[in-house]
Amino acid sequence: MDELLLSKVRLGVVAELLNFDWIAFSELARSLDVSNGNLGAHLSKLVDAAYVEEEKSFANRRPLSRYRLTKRGRAAFASHVAELQSLLKVTS
Amino acid sequence: MNVEPLDAAAAQDHLEMVNRILAESHQRLCNGGEYFVVWGIGSAYITVLAQLVHGGLLPSATTWSLPIVIAVCAAFSIVRARQTRRVLQRSSLLQREFFNVLWLTLGLAFVVDVAVFNIFPGLASAAIWSVAEAIVLLYIGMHGNRRAQVAGVLVIVSLVVANFASPGIAGYVLGAGMLVGYAGFGASELLARE
Repeated sequence: MDELLLSKVRLGVVAELLNFDWIAFSELARSLDVSNGNLGAHLSKLVDAAYVEEEKSFANRRPLSRYRLTKRGRAAFASHVAELQSLLKVTS
Repeated sequence: MNVEPLDAAAAQDHLEMVNRILAESHQRLCNGGEYFVVWGIGSAYITVLAQLVHGGLLPSATTWSLPIVIAVCAAFSIVRARQTRRVLQRSSLLQREFFNVLWLTLGLAFVVDVAVFNIFPGLASAAIWSVAEAIVLLYIGMHGNRRAQVAGVLVIVSLVVANFASPGIAGYVLGAGMLVGYAGFGASELLARE
């Protein structure tokens, strides 16, 4: 299994990003119901692993950080979910 | 990285979370009703004006407004797209795909109007716009938007009716299709959003 995606928050981030081109930091925090600090730490790990791409800009004079899934992140998610499913099949 | 391996209960929990997120992540395809209103009115104006000039009801000098209308529609779309992209909290892959279809079809219709006018003269170039608009609407309709399905059919019907109508009113029929089908769809999306 992908160790990076064993964290529920990081797996949730990747699942949130799966059907979207870009999602803002605030929107991710709201969807996943996690604190900004917690989400920031998890996102940094995903960005470092090149699973997620980060874009920083300004909107209405406020900083805006947006994220999207990379091909690598998408592939890692697919294989991780497949492994979770096979684990359940083996144990059931 | 030191991480505890998952047991079956945790794996089940993680998968349920993933399924819930994916189920909730569905987003409406079209959130750009204003583009439809602007381009629908713009294309209807151009078509009706061309018909009026062709019928001798307006002097040909009035056609000076055509490039201005196109430029205004294009400028609005570019500014609005950049503005939206900057402030949008979420933009779905489906939405990006939809905008690609929109720009591709309208861009090709524009190229046909500007560079292929000897093959598609007069009403034929207006009809090309109707075809492009119908493709965009029916594409959105294919993804479950009932209003887009109805609007796309309306534009197609206007094309067929214009084909059999007398040449003196065919342009008005096409213009009505653009106004009711394309701009009307945009207006209904804007109203639904509010």
